[in-house]
Amino acid sequence: MNTVDFPWLTTTILFPVVAALLIPFIPDKDGKTVRWYALIVGLIDFAILVYAFTNFYDFSAPGLQLVESYSWVPSLDLKWSVGADGLSMPLILLTGFITTLAILASWPVTLKPKLFYFLMLAMYGGQIGVFAVQDMLLFFLMWELELIPVYLLLSIWGGKKRLYAATKFILYTAGGSLFILVAALAMAFYGDTVTFDMRSLMDKDYPVNLQLLLYGAFLIAYAVKLPIFPLHTWLPDAHGEATAPVHMLLAGILLKMGGYALIRMNVEMLPDAHVYFAPALVILGIVNIIYAALTSFAQRNLKRKIAYSSISHMGFVLIGIASFTDLGLSGAVLQMVSHGLIGASLFFLVGATYDRTHTLILDEMGGVGKKMPKIFAMFTACSLASLALPGMSGFVAELMVFVGFATSDAYGLVFKTIVVLLAAVGVILTPIYLLSMLREIFYGPENKELVEHEVLIDAEPREVFIIACLLIPIIGIGFYPKLLTQIYDVKTLAITEKLENSLTTLAEQEMRSKPLAQEPLQAPVIN
Amino acid sequence: MESIYEYAWLIPVLPLAGAMILGLGLVSYNKAMNALRKPSAVFIVSLLGAAMVLSFAILWSQVQGHPPYTRLIDWAAAGDFHLTMGYTVDRLTAMMLVIVTTVAFFVMVYTDGYMAHDPGYVRFYAYLSLFSSSMLGLVVSPNLVQVYVFWELVGMCSYLLIGFWYDRKPAADACQKAFVTNRVGDFGLLLGMLGLFWATGSFDFDVMGLRLEDLVETGALSGAVAAFLAVLVFMGPVAKSAQVPLHVWLPDAMEGPTPISALIHAATMVAAGVFLIARMYPVFENIPVAMDTIAWTGAVTAFVGASIAITQNDIKKGLAYSTMSQLGYMVMAMGIGAYSAGMFHLMTHAYFKAMLFLGSGSVIHGMEAVVGHDPALAQDMRLMGGLRKYMPITALTFLIGTLAISGIPPFAGFWSKDEIIGAAYEASPFLWAIGWLTAGITAFYMFRMYFSTFEGGFRGNDEGIKRQLKVAKLQQMGLSMGPGAMNPQELAIESEVHDDHDGHGDHHHSDSPHESPITMTLPLMALAIPSILIGLLGTPFANYFEAFIHPPGEVIEGIPSEVDWSEFLAMAGSSIGISLIGITLASLMYLTGKINPAKIAKQIEPLYKLSLNKWYFDEVYEVLFVQGSRRLARQVLEVDVRIVDGLVNLAGFVTLVTGEGLKYLENGRVQFYALIVFGAVLGLVLVSGVT
Repeated sequence: MNTVDFPWLTTTILFPVVAALLIPFIPDKDGKTVRWYALIVGLIDFAILVYAFTNFYDFSAPGLQLVESYSWVPSLDLKWSVGADGLSMPLILLTGFITTLAILASWPVTLKPKLFYFLMLAMYGGQIGVFAVQDMLLFFLMWELELIPVYLLLSIWGGKKRLYAATKFILYTAGGSLFILVAALAMAFYGDTVTFDMRSLMDKDYPVNLQLLLYGAFLIAYAVKLPIFPLHTWLPDAHGEATAPVHMLLAGILLKMGGYALIRMNVEMLPDAHVYFAPALVILGIVNIIYAALTSFAQRNLKRKIAYSSISHMGFVLIGIASFTDLGLSGAVLQMVSHGLIGASLFFLVGATYDRTHTLILDEMGGVGKKMPKIFAMFTACSLASLALPGMSGFVAELMVFVGFATSDAYGLVFKTIVVLLAAVGVILTPIYLLSMLREIFYGPENKELVEHEVLIDAEPREVFIIACLLIPIIGIGFYPKLLTQIYDVKTLAITEKLENSLTTLAEQEMRSKPLAQEPLQAPVIN
Repeated sequence: MESIYEYAWLIPVLPLAGAMILGLGLVSYNKAMNALRKPSAVFIVSLLGAAMVLSFAILWSQVQGHPPYTRLIDWAAAGDFHLTMGYTVDRLTAMMLVIVTTVAFFVMVYTDGYMAHDPGYVRFYAYLSLFSSSMLGLVVSPNLVQVYVFWELVGMCSYLLIGFWYDRKPAADACQKAFVTNRVGDFGLLLGMLGLFWATGSFDFDVMGLRLEDLVETGALSGAVAAFLAVLVFMGPVAKSAQVPLHVWLPDAMEGPTPISALIHAATMVAAGVFLIARMYPVFENIPVAMDTIAWTGAVTAFVGASIAITQNDIKKGLAYSTMSQLGYMVMAMGIGAYSAGMFHLMTHAYFKAMLFLGSGSVIHGMEAVVGHDPALAQDMRLMGGLRKYMPITALTFLIGTLAISGIPPFAGFWSKDEIIGAAYEASPFLWAIGWLTAGITAFYMFRMYFSTFEGGFRGNDEGIKRQLKVAKLQQMGLSMGPGAMNPQELAIESEVHDDHDGHGDHHHSDSPHESPITMTLPLMALAIPSILIGLLGTPFANYFEAFIHPPGEVIEGIPSEVDWSEFLAMAGSSIGISLIGITLASLMYLTGKINPAKIAKQIEPLYKLSLNKWYFDEVYEVLFVQGSRRLARQVLEVDVRIVDGLVNLAGFVTLVTGEGLKYLENGRVQFYALIVFGAVLGLVLVSGVT
């Protein structure tokens, strides 16, 4: 058998799902066998992903690779088609990595372990599916499919208000995804051919007005997922109630679906509309950064605090996407991967802390650093990563977005200055809320009540291992960002080129300067 | 000779490796690692020693006239954008490498004695090594981005080290304050950096300077914008080098262990701001507005710092304000174009201030034997006095440092400070006047500190003063908790004071302080040598220093040695004169007691209060920024929870399930709507697949 033609992606999607279906038949009384089973399945799947990408994926080619396409519904031109390019490949790897670690993080789950791991494995396949599928209808199905495990994971294993949170989550996301369906149908039936294939849809020539409508529809759906203000309010609720492993998936992967789809559909398929919408994205990005940082600062609930910080970090993704530069877009992708790692690690540590203190309210904590020095050290390291300390991945991503946006030719000088200035305010706000969080949990004299009533044991090796696994790539990318950027560089370049074409064509069509910049100010040139 | 440049990257990497090995050991084998105290210390110190030897070799090679050496690698790239990182070694770097490694080396040796009884001994060495590595990385940086990277990293190390005793509340507050205040400066630095890159397309210091000059000259960029960008960049040094108005973190940073105060908050990290101004000199020198801003910021800082130092009773706080004031001198020197003088003062100050801080640590170490491990008591000069009898080495080295900082020839500080004041006279009489006056205040407060610590009779056993200090401290804490907590707080004061009386036996080892162990006094003596002699490198008669370190664009042939004797005598005479006045006043007030300082304080009470309360910077910032941001954040959260969440819920879904929406939400039946949509699509697909 020729290994190049082996359906690698389909295998990695279906393998965890099939393995999940076998879970009911595993003889297991206390839930100890099934968690090893799930972990091994996760590891194998991740190994297949790594093997396939290292051997059969060419980092220097911008197009889709590892493509498989099987006809499913010929009359609708619906195909089971998957593939990976520079945009989806890093996120697929991230999915495998985080989900496997999340399974390892689920060790303390004792309630209905079979169902829990069944759902985790189902999620595994579904998430890879979202990033890999190359068919609009299939994408929509995957998008919806992955909601159900999350809903159940939230509503069965969550905190006190879990039902409210889970329902809110599914209403928001499912409500948003209706827009995907409508837009996908509109795109599919526009023109002479009916097709759901993403590449064919990309080649269709939509009039600008239709593009704007489609763009708006997609934007609503993805704004819920990313999330973007004002559609973010499901996130603190969902995160506030979720258990640590679910948390890791929510922050590490699910949010990235929004960013991924935004680049894949809005930017790549509707570049003309993107030219019009980009300033709005930038402004929303700014609002995300500042608004969420402030709400995070005021939050007294640890999980919600970190949840808001996720929203704040996603603002940089938006600005990067809308920067019209290689650097900015590259930074946006890097920020997604980086936040996937950092967000997952922070949420895991919040979970680990909660397992010991049994409270999430900051006022009831304090001074536990003495009792749990390892957790303290890891929490500090991850918080520093989150506040974009150089030497860690978050810094590189934010710096790339900053430099990319500052050197963008698409915006006027005044607009650029204001945006960079406001985004940089986030640089001040982030340490304020993260460091005061650390201070309130770990620093100061011990909280007598807490120390007397709870058993505060330090981190066990399993927990140290999980954080080490997450910190190694965070620091690795921080030290040498090309490790990651070079594997998707060609793709972001190709997208930016396409965008620049749209920008110039539109500018020429309208017989005036670029639509965004009333007074396009290039960087001054030495004569 | 070339090979030492090829291996120059080892200088920052060696301490980094040490820190990582210790750090990994602490996380994975905590108990075993903590037991390996001496081996860890020896390991870290020898790694840094190796880096120090390498630095001296490089300095020697630079003195011999080796051209600058740069090595770069492609670090980040996207499209045609390439960002390089690496290291560059030129004269400035070579000098900084030697300063940082020598001070760090002696501080590390000293640490062994100072932290001997601390359970965090190994962790402290790991942090120290990490800091040294970051600081060395900063000085070898070839471009602004790399400076920014290490700039933040030294800030992080400073955060970790200030909060080293994390169970102390003041330390917890101080480390956060330091980091956030520095981030405010970094905010400006980041923006300035982005702006300069936008304008010049480069992060390289010389290229930025050249292109910016061209751009302004050809009118492609308005001078105002260039000045704005330069001032933004300068915000970084303002925070890092504790310049007004972002100086507030430095005095609080004294909550960290004393070796840290010597290394980070006196000799090296806070000087990084001055170093950055030197690196950015090609950009700044062509922008008069920026240079003036720098000069005046420095001058104001020098004065404000000195004026606060006069009334401080905490020996470390006093030294911290003195550091701030001296940094002001350096910044002012850079601003008036006295590049060489500013760097010279950086060097001399690094040695004598490190020694002074280590000396204060030695004093605290000795005092703790008498008053116990309470910083409020062990660091308060009102409890000291007469320590010269008990700790002769510490007293002698402290006196040398005091003479050096007061500008008495031939000690190091005289030559460097005098060069700055002389240059200020040429730039502006106002700046000169501030510098000159500050020199007098400096001599006064430093001798006040020396006299009240080492001369007179020992007051450490005076229970009255102790009780008074304790009450003051608790009252301060009580006040910061708000008026509502007053009553229980008063009880706490009583009980704590009472507790202390009961617990005498636990705290007191003896009734008299003792001299510190050899690992602590040896670094003091070693640092005393440069504090006395190093100034002779830069005398106006033969300024070897200026021949070696001068602005990037300037060419200096031979050793500058033209002395205008009348001018030199006038300048030196006037500054020695005001120093002597300061010393005389201090001795009258604190040595012989001829003048009662309390009486003077009464007479000029508003001024005294202003100085004692640090010009009320903290109080104003507390109201404006701390409480302001908290209030704003709370309001935003309120808006988020009540309005945004409510509106979106309302608009999106309550319409979907009118009337009984809430009921549905609670019993979780609405998700069926989502499932129905999903099912319908799936059905559609399947049905059309079958047909």
